Amino acid sequence: MTALLETRRLTRAFGGLVAVNNIDMHVAEGEIVGLIGPNGAGKTTLFNLLAGSLEPSSGIVRFAGADCTGFPAHRMARLGVARTFQITSLFPELTVADNVRAGTYRTKTGGWAGALFRTRAHAEDERAVSARVDEILAFVGMSARRAMPAKALPYGEQRKLEIAIALAAEPRLLLLDEPAAGMNPDEGAKLVQMIRSIRDRGITVLLVEHHMRVVMGVCDRVVVIGSGLKVAEGVPAEVANDPEVIRIYLGREKIHA
Amino acid sequence: MDSDVFAQLVVFTQQVANGLANGMGYVLIAVGLTLVFGVLRIVNFAHGEFYMLGAYFTYYVTALAGIDYLGALVLATLAVAAIGIVANQFFFRPLRKEHEFTILLSSLGLALLMANGAEYVFGADPKYVPTRYADETLEIGPVVVTQQRVLVIAVAFAMIAATYWFIRHTRMGKMMQATAQNPEGAQLTGINTGFVHAYTFAFACGLAALSGALVGPTAMLTHTVGDWAVLKGFIVVVMGGLGSVTGALFGGILLGVAESLGGGYVSLGFKDAIGYAIIILVLLWRPQGLFSAGSGRR
Amino acid sequence: MTAAPRMRALGAVAALAVLPWLTGNAFLQHMMVLWAIYALLALSLNIIVGYLGELSFGHAAFFGIGAYTSALLSMQWGVPVWLGPFLGAIVAGAFGLVIGFVALRIVGPQFAILTLGFGAILHTITNYWVDLTRGPMGISNIPPFSLGPIALDFAQARNMYYVALVFLLGVAYVCHALMTSRRGRAFIAVRENPALAASIGIDVFATKLHGFVVATAIAGAGGALYGHYLRVITPELMSLQYVAALIIMVIVGGKGTIVGPLIGALVYVSLLEMLRAAGPLRLVVFAALLTACVIFLPGGLVSLWRRLRERRLAPEPAGASA
Repeated sequence: MTALLETRRLTRAFGGLVAVNNIDMHVAEGEIVGLIGPNGAGKTTLFNLLAGSLEPSSGIVRFAGADCTGFPAHRMARLGVARTFQITSLFPELTVADNVRAGTYRTKTGGWAGALFRTRAHAEDERAVSARVDEILAFVGMSARRAMPAKALPYGEQRKLEIAIALAAEPRLLLLDEPAAGMNPDEGAKLVQMIRSIRDRGITVLLVEHHMRVVMGVCDRVVVIGSGLKVAEGVPAEVANDPEVIRIYLGREKIHA
Repeated sequence: MDSDVFAQLVVFTQQVANGLANGMGYVLIAVGLTLVFGVLRIVNFAHGEFYMLGAYFTYYVTALAGIDYLGALVLATLAVAAIGIVANQFFFRPLRKEHEFTILLSSLGLALLMANGAEYVFGADPKYVPTRYADETLEIGPVVVTQQRVLVIAVAFAMIAATYWFIRHTRMGKMMQATAQNPEGAQLTGINTGFVHAYTFAFACGLAALSGALVGPTAMLTHTVGDWAVLKGFIVVVMGGLGSVTGALFGGILLGVAESLGGGYVSLGFKDAIGYAIIILVLLWRPQGLFSAGSGRR
Repeated sequence: MTAAPRMRALGAVAALAVLPWLTGNAFLQHMMVLWAIYALLALSLNIIVGYLGELSFGHAAFFGIGAYTSALLSMQWGVPVWLGPFLGAIVAGAFGLVIGFVALRIVGPQFAILTLGFGAILHTITNYWVDLTRGPMGISNIPPFSLGPIALDFAQARNMYYVALVFLLGVAYVCHALMTSRRGRAFIAVRENPALAASIGIDVFATKLHGFVVATAIAGAGGALYGHYLRVITPELMSLQYVAALIIMVIVGGKGTIVGPLIGALVYVSLLEMLRAAGPLRLVVFAALLTACVIFLPGGLVSLWRRLRERRLAPEPAGASA
């Protein structure tokens, strides 16, 4: 397997605080990788570096073999990296269907002129986009909600809609920022199912997560971060028994396999 | 040749002195504006209208009721502060949870309401606020300033010092600071943020009125003077950093002196454009302001 | 567009086309021209305020640039008048490009203050560059609109109305097309949630700049029409008073819609005349209207219509939750 995403000595400092310190990691095509670590370990900073929301202080990020260090978020998205946000982030005033429709932006190229002159290409694009929206809403099981404004959805469905928006961008790599936050165990189990079927669509997944049940249940490989440094890496069962990992988690959170 | 250099030096000093006097007037306007932004998160377009009200109140109280100028100044300040409480109650309090865009529009509505209402109530003909200090001058060496300008400078310095002391050392001032830094947290510690907001707004309106009463007599008074005042206030506040009192002090002086020198040496016509050019440069170069450590770009 | 809205749009166009023939009153026809030009300007500001979700306090400056460009080109260089609106649009759009490129890096209230600054600078320059603009006296005796060989007298309100209407309908259609396009979805995405918009591949800055330039260019075209119709322009066109008027039209009518700004312009123009006798009180009424809409009716007058219709179409069953 080739690495879809790769970092080399990736570092980000805020003033004197080095939040991400010389991290080498990779995500192979078709993998589901979990990024874990105690609070304040630098997971979110690393995640934002990968998504282009932050610029690294030094180091390299490569996507599909090409250097994309320091690319802004929209350029990362155009390469095929979609993301969700830790705090629910939607287009609140738009309907569920229009949220997903907005997500299809990068998959087409038409602009204002096509709509102005009602070209055939524009009509075909719009039909294709509508079909895509239907398909994705069916995939996440939200077809019945399509006409509802996003802000009116219950919390769990808002989280699902976020994933639907990201999927509409047809990413090669999906970055999920604590997708299970605020979910009950039942919803968590369904999320695990969904992440698996996302991978089955041919999308590689990297997730930051606190819920160990979700991480252990779905990830092929886990990368553990502590104080900005990579502490361990491997299959979930191995990592859960790594003494160093147990040490950094000790007194903070327990790992439940 | 020596006398030539000397004459130029006198002109220069005179212009700096004029600029300083104008600048301290700007400072008084800007302190209220920056407090309201810092504590209530409101960019208050109507701030200049409270300046306008202060000037008109002073005019009516002195010219018509015959009360002494200094007494009128105090009355105007208190009356406009009271009006500020009412304005906050109707125009800003209901929108507390709304988007900043909505609040900005509401303040624009209030500004238009007050400016046009003033034309209706006070008439469109210009007025001159009478003070006994406007015609008296003070000579410091070769530099001549009216006593009114000296009064502006003195009161402005006193008010800045008082505001500083108030924010640092009184209970209300500390509550204002807490509310500015973290409204939810302040509420959790038992601070009545609604009351702090009303108090701050009234305080700011009083300061605006005081500046109107002080600076008003140096120019002709019309109902549109609020536009002028709020624009100057914005320039100063943007220069000094939104929410910073120290920034307002330095920003105001800098703007006053820059305008005075620019008007004297470049072109009187473009004097007003200097301020706009400054804010454009500042917002692009340091959006958080020249004198503030915080970040303005969100 | 599905069948019913298309019929409604065609009906509205037909009604607007016959409107000036319903009255021989020259004054009412004059009001119609003013409405069409103001509606055009309101639609252009709506692109920034309604679609991009930024508040611009400098929009009247671009209106003024268009008016001065077209007036000066036709009077001093003999450029055909019918080209004026297009040249006005190009020059205003070029200013919009430069100013937008600089100002759109800042968001929120600071952006509003920045546009206020740019608008005020353009106003000051127009006021003091007497050699070019004749300063505060303004430019008078601007030639009326003309279409070259077509011998129609566009100094007549009824004829000018059709010119303004063609531009208005054109811009309304452009806005409609925008909202059904991928580009329009990007505008709305940027307004609703810039961070999420960037994460799905939308270049937030470029999208805003795109909208800003189009909006300022349209304002320039509107300014040109205004100048050739009233035949007198002064730097006052760029003043805060006009900025406030345009914002009132967009907010009172209903931002983010096409019908809203048209209604807002109608309300503005008719109240302006009906309340002429009220003198200064008239502007107080406008301010009250703006404030009332901001506080009580954030969707503007069009939302009132939608609200009424929803209530009529779907009477709530007893016991249903709101």
